[in-house]
Amino acid sequence: MKGYYHSRETFGTVDGKGIRYVLFLAGCNLQCAFCHNPDTWKQGNRLIDSEEVLHEVEEYRSFYEASGGGITVSGGEPLLQPDFVAELFQLCQENKISTTLDTSGSGAKAAIMKILPYTDHVLFSLKAGTESLHKKLTAGNSNKNIIENLKIIAKRKPVTLRYVILPGITDSALEIAALIKIIHSLEAIDLAVDILPYHKMGISKWKELGMKYLLADVNTPTAHEIMAVKDKIKASGIKLAH
Amino acid sequence: MNNYWNGFKDGNWQQQIDVRNFIQENYTPYEGSEDFLVDKTKKTEIVWDKCKLLLSQEREKNGVLDVDSNTVSTITSHAPGYIDKDNEVIVGLQLDAPLKRGLVLSGGLRMAQQACNEYGYKLNPELEKIYSKYVKTHNEAVFSLYTPEMRKVRSLGLLTGLPDAYGRGRIIGDYRRIALYGIDYLIEQKQNDRENLFSGEISEEKARSRDEIAQQIAALKAIKKMAAAYGFDISCPAKNTREAVQWIYFGYLAAVKNQNGAAMSIGRVSTFIDIYIERDLKNGILTEAAAQEIIDQFVIKLRLIRMLRTPEYNELFAGDPLWVTEVIGGMGEDGRTLVTKTSMRTLHTLNNLGPAPEPNITILWSKKLPAAFKRFASIISIKTSAVQYENDEVMRPVFGDDYGIACCVSAMKLGKMMQFFGARANLAKALLLAINGGKDEKTNKQLAPQMPLPQGEYLDYDDVRKKYSEVLAWLAGVYVNTMNVIHYSHDRHAYEAEQMALHDSKVARLMAFGIAGLSVAVDSLSAIKYAKVKPIRDENGVAVDFAIEGDFPKYGNNDSRVDSFAKEITHEFITELKKHPAYRNAEHTLSILTITSNVVYGKKTGATPDGRKSGQPLAPGANPMHGRDKAGALAAMKSVANISYDDCRDGISYTFSIIPEALGKTDEIREKNLTALLDGYSNCNAHHINVNVHDRSTLKDAMEHPEKYPQLTIRVSGYAVNFIKLDREHQQEVIDRTFYEAI
Repeated sequence: MKGYYHSRETFGTVDGKGIRYVLFLAGCNLQCAFCHNPDTWKQGNRLIDSEEVLHEVEEYRSFYEASGGGITVSGGEPLLQPDFVAELFQLCQENKISTTLDTSGSGAKAAIMKILPYTDHVLFSLKAGTESLHKKLTAGNSNKNIIENLKIIAKRKPVTLRYVILPGITDSALEIAALIKIIHSLEAIDLAVDILPYHKMGISKWKELGMKYLLADVNTPTAHEIMAVKDKIKASGIKLAH
Repeated sequence: MNNYWNGFKDGNWQQQIDVRNFIQENYTPYEGSEDFLVDKTKKTEIVWDKCKLLLSQEREKNGVLDVDSNTVSTITSHAPGYIDKDNEVIVGLQLDAPLKRGLVLSGGLRMAQQACNEYGYKLNPELEKIYSKYVKTHNEAVFSLYTPEMRKVRSLGLLTGLPDAYGRGRIIGDYRRIALYGIDYLIEQKQNDRENLFSGEISEEKARSRDEIAQQIAALKAIKKMAAAYGFDISCPAKNTREAVQWIYFGYLAAVKNQNGAAMSIGRVSTFIDIYIERDLKNGILTEAAAQEIIDQFVIKLRLIRMLRTPEYNELFAGDPLWVTEVIGGMGEDGRTLVTKTSMRTLHTLNNLGPAPEPNITILWSKKLPAAFKRFASIISIKTSAVQYENDEVMRPVFGDDYGIACCVSAMKLGKMMQFFGARANLAKALLLAINGGKDEKTNKQLAPQMPLPQGEYLDYDDVRKKYSEVLAWLAGVYVNTMNVIHYSHDRHAYEAEQMALHDSKVARLMAFGIAGLSVAVDSLSAIKYAKVKPIRDENGVAVDFAIEGDFPKYGNNDSRVDSFAKEITHEFITELKKHPAYRNAEHTLSILTITSNVVYGKKTGATPDGRKSGQPLAPGANPMHGRDKAGALAAMKSVANISYDDCRDGISYTFSIIPEALGKTDEIREKNLTALLDGYSNCNAHHINVNVHDRSTLKDAMEHPEKYPQLTIRVSGYAVNFIKLDREHQQEVIDRTFYEAI
């Protein structure tokens, strides 16, 4: 079947293990204030067939195999197209291509249950520790459902939990404590936290789309600020991705 | 010679000149890690510090430290020169002082005159008189041989960068022969060859070969004399490592003293040298520190080689390059790796001395290379961006396991093959000729034979394609004949006796043709076929621009609709070239390589049907036009790999630029990913890749010269952006952060 997509990258190296084919789907429901691809929010009308994706991945198989890589489906939000993603991942697994799901967790439980059986690894991007900050950063969306979804996933599959540091916003003592608390509550089978520095490279896209960027005054974090968060996570007994 | 060869295994190499056999019988493959490597010695540090000072002075003086404008440079023209005699373990300079540039006039007088004037020197009037009145230079001879048509294709930029004003280069002497056999044995063998191979009924070719061998013998004697001036007797084989490297270097030095060839490769010396190092280590007469010292100091010498060039030349080949190419690695025909500890030591010079463009270290890649070596190469590559990779898996079946690389991508069997360098034909411009009835789009002059203009408001693919074939067929003829006169003249007036003396007397000859503007030609054909292209013609009927309606597939996205054109055109062009006999029965080969000349060639090319504007640069080598490859690096690599090496035996060059962050998040991941990238690329039967992993200073350069970094990618937490597409403010932001992270 076909899915709505934004673009694809044949040489993805930061969205999962090894070198990966990254399919960026189109359509997202979260609208994060620091999103670096707001151009993937709308579903648009570009369609790609799962068989065609598989065929493309096969083209580069020797690269992906040599590096222990595979395919990553990113977004947009993959949970909004569960049937397509599930079919694609099933096809990939049948052809011995490792599958990684890159999600914000914002979707229905049923969607997750459809995709998970064919997923080897999940990159789960949590936007904030507390619900109030989450609402601020995501146009009013609650994080309750998202945390429930994270629990479901973490019990079943290896997860890399991604957390973006916006200095003075997502790295406050309150937020990090809340984040740690969430993680401890997960009963995760294999979870590592990947602390990502906020960057401003998406700003020009907001301008192009005629949208106002609310975080223009926020700085990118220093190495020191990143390290401070990593130290806290480590000290709480949680594994770091790098 | 037996005492020189003590400790070596016997073989055919003792019966005749057979360096490969010597290597195969005696080398020690190394599969271990780089842990044995050591830092540079005090001596090396002192010598290199002096060089660094001289190099900075050279930069301050507009890139030329000193010129001897009084004396013609030959093998024995100048007294010995030193950097720091007490601390140099490998000696020998081109002239009597480091970085001083010499006059080589046999290739052409004009270039030397211009270069002297440009840098504030006056060419000795006596020499001007001799080389204009009494001695015919290659440059003068070629222009007396050129037909009017050849002059026209040259001046209008259809054939460019032809070696008709200076040394052709691209010949690799097998300098190892001097170390293994000593000069006297080589002279003896040449004398035998002259009588055994070139006597009896004397044809023109035989007479010429006899003459050339006489020149070769004289050159060998001159090398011996030059070495003696430095206090070394190289009539016999080298006794130890230091002598082996010194003997090799004297051979190379003779070549760069006597001629000013564009590309002057050193060959494949590391594994050969390793045999001497292993023997000396075993005999307890060498330490690891001393071994590394010899390699470091040899490399320092190679970094200091200089030629006197004109600013015009620098525009074509920017950055004062010499392509002192040394290949390392590769696999043997018997399945053993040719990686030795000295392959590692050679790479390690980039740590000990810091990165530098020379020598042009080229790793012959194979998936079967030892894992530790692959990893070490990746580390060095990421750290320095100074290494290029070529696919041993596609070259070994053609050239065996003892080949070198001339310039960037031209393979040849060492000591057994030479090549006639032939620059390149601009196939983007050739396509415009097919659209313009054979007229040059820049001057309205009739360049190709007259042909009717394509009919209709929009260009018809079949019509244009047919006319393009006619142009290519005509161009191939002019090209081969132009090369024939150039190399006839070069052999007569600027023969490289000192290098040919280090080849078999019956040498195989390649004639290396080249293509520029491939991706523009290919995308233009795609536009004509898949979109609607309307030529906008001036009053003379010449298309000065094109209106394109609709989209079309572009080369660089692994899309067979357009990639097939690249394969088709290269195949067609080499097939056409082969229809015309090459000088001295040379075998025709073809490269897709522009170095930096794609910018100058672009200036000479009008607007093209792919939407490229008049004067805009062409893409380098076989690269896609920048910004048109939208599906990531692997898709671009597959497009390049789709071109057949069988059609392009002189090499297919692809340049890949990436920032460290885009290779992966940690050093370890980056090393792994780069290794996997190279394994995968090799597996696709691709030929060559330049790997650029850039740091902050490179990013800054990219801000000023975006055309040089078509693929520079920024990839942070989930999305990729093309660096040159960011506005200045954001580029600056990226640069600041990268710098910050580096702390």
